[in-house]
Amino acid sequence: MILSAEQISKRYFRKSGEANHFYAVKPLSLTLRPGTVTVLCGRSGSGKTTLLHMLSGLLTPTEGRVLLGETDLYRLSDKELSKLRNASIGVVPQARSVLDTLTVRENILLPSALYGTEDRSEEAARWMETLRIEGLADSRAAELSGGELRRTAIARTLCMCPPVILADEPTGDLDDENTQLVFGCFRKAAEEGAAVLIVSHESDALNIADAALRMDGGQLSALS
Amino acid sequence: MKCGSLAVKNLLRKPGRTAALVILTALLALSVFGGSVVVGSLRQGLRSLESRLGADIIVVPSSAQSKVSFQNMLLQGTTGAFYMDGENLERVREVEGVELAAPQVFLASLKADCCSVKIQVIGFDPETDFFVRPWIEQSYTRELGDLDVVVGSKVEAGVGEIIRIYDERCKVVGRLATTGTGLDTAVYCNLSTMKTLLAAAENKGVSHKVSSDESDDQISAIYVKVKEGYDIGQVNSKIQGHTRKCSAVRTKSMLTDVSDSLTAISRTVTTLIGVVWLLALVILVVAFVMIANERKREFAVLRLLGTSRAMLGGMILKESALCSLAGGVLGVLMAALLVFPFTTLIETSLGLPYLRPSAGAILTLALAALAATVLVGSLASSWASFRLSRVDPGTVLREGN
Amino acid sequence: MKRFSAGAAIALLLSAVIAVGSVSFLGPCVHEDGSFGSCHWAGQAMLGIGLLLAVLSLAALLVKDGGLRAGLLFAAAAAAVLGIFIPGTLIRLCGMATMRCRAVMRPAMTLLCALTAACSLLGGIAAYRKAGRGK
Repeated sequence: MILSAEQISKRYFRKSGEANHFYAVKPLSLTLRPGTVTVLCGRSGSGKTTLLHMLSGLLTPTEGRVLLGETDLYRLSDKELSKLRNASIGVVPQARSVLDTLTVRENILLPSALYGTEDRSEEAARWMETLRIEGLADSRAAELSGGELRRTAIARTLCMCPPVILADEPTGDLDDENTQLVFGCFRKAAEEGAAVLIVSHESDALNIADAALRMDGGQLSALS
Repeated sequence: MKCGSLAVKNLLRKPGRTAALVILTALLALSVFGGSVVVGSLRQGLRSLESRLGADIIVVPSSAQSKVSFQNMLLQGTTGAFYMDGENLERVREVEGVELAAPQVFLASLKADCCSVKIQVIGFDPETDFFVRPWIEQSYTRELGDLDVVVGSKVEAGVGEIIRIYDERCKVVGRLATTGTGLDTAVYCNLSTMKTLLAAAENKGVSHKVSSDESDDQISAIYVKVKEGYDIGQVNSKIQGHTRKCSAVRTKSMLTDVSDSLTAISRTVTTLIGVVWLLALVILVVAFVMIANERKREFAVLRLLGTSRAMLGGMILKESALCSLAGGVLGVLMAALLVFPFTTLIETSLGLPYLRPSAGAILTLALAALAATVLVGSLASSWASFRLSRVDPGTVLREGN
Repeated sequence: MKRFSAGAAIALLLSAVIAVGSVSFLGPCVHEDGSFGSCHWAGQAMLGIGLLLAVLSLAALLVKDGGLRAGLLFAAAAAAVLGIFIPGTLIRLCGMATMRCRAVMRPAMTLLCALTAACSLLGGIAAYRKAGRGK
């Protein structure tokens, strides 16, 4: 399934300063195709996370539209958009996103459990093994290290086999070995048909990329 | 694991937070159920007293003390012994409009051998009595013989047991049904037994004579039933004029006194419940808002994973409803453990008729308390729930970066 | 087996209330003439039960062995059940329901002993299970 952004932008109003508003993301278009990995680089504050949130249906763009296949995300009701995000857009946020009250296994199965869709225990077991957290299946999030939490969040996304995967700095807490492992997983997901966007500073990410983009001051450009 | 079971997991895996909410809501249920059982028991006690006081007018000796003493005897079960000339009975019977007039003689025992408390002994005339007999007949249908006594429900003596009053051995032949009034702590006998007991008391040096009168024939109170068609007030005034050193009291005015006290207590209890609810409600709302802030990230993650606002709101409501239900059950149980075993203590502290309502009525009160607690608990969380479901997950997830 | 036993701690607190209360604020009334009725001796018996319960639950709180802790707590539960039957059943109380011994002491002791028995029993079961798991 193709995820495309058409002339989307995000403008915020400033409380002080010269201009009364500024663009976090300037009007841009972007297409993520199935089977490809796109890597997005850029300095902090360049608008990468804002773009990713707009693409995932979490943040309404000021202008433009985001289409998943033929569906305009921001024309859907909250209920429809939530269900669509659950089934079709896997997001790995930059911040800690594993629930403390659940075990690793429960966290990974949470998206599928929310709507009572098919049993994904096997996929969960497979991804836990691939990401080397199978021994932690019954541990609570509070007992995990930063790297383990990160891999749990990645397993949770991959477990749903979503057609679109948006990962924001997914290897921030990981050592080299685990970074390679995670990029390998994303590559594999793309080979299985997913459209993957990875926001990353890691040069390793470029090794698995089919396309590389750069954000600078809210403006998107191809990385030379 | 749908949102429902996620709510249960959230509650079970944050035991400290859950316990605090459960205790708060338990307080709500405890106060409303405990308070309403106490007020309900007082109402039931008043009804019981009304039905027990089958007389329209009660004549007691004219001293102010005897009137108070009689009322305390009826309401609190304290002992009273006051006497007037027996002639007054005939005088009352002569008054036009009097249908029945039944005498009673009171005696306060010294401490009985079983305990250190004085027991009120009430002698009645089985021939003319319409006050005690119908009540006694519920549990003992034969004639009371000499030195036979029937005991009120609060006197702990079984049928066949002997209790000693001024060293006279009296046989317990029956136990009376609970009325919730002071009548429950008395022992009842016929007039001839009473004469024996009075004589025994005399021998022990406890005089029960009317001070200026040497007559043997003394009574303590006369219960009067007025003929139909006669005005009770007028008959009351006539009795007052026709008797010597007596004062005639309309039972209705006595019941009004009790009813006034009951209203005052009900108002106090209601105010207290109101204060507790208001406080607990404020604390609950604040607690839910604080918890909501603490859980912002958790809810942002759930939104990210595809939980809709409605699902999220429903989950928070479910959590608070479950907490309030657990708190409600705990509170009702705690109230039951405090109010029911200590019925007698509450009764004696309040000094008013107190009779526990039927099991059905208590069950209804418990269910109502539970429903109110769950409703208020859920309402308290609804503001927090609304705010949380509007949280912008993108912003929240960024805050932690 | 180092974990703190909440059951034993609550039982200790309740038994202290039983022991102190049975001869003070929850005890039977004092006869004006200074004589002692049977209710007085029921109060004294409850003092004994309260002290026994306090010793058992304190010991349960201090010992580290799970099996021993379970045994102590089960013994406390049994003693608490005995406590329920002392005022009124095993030792007669006053003849009037409005007397302190019946209106206050008996319901209070029944309630406190029942709660102590429940806490000790639950604490005992928990300790027994943990001890079993440790083997």
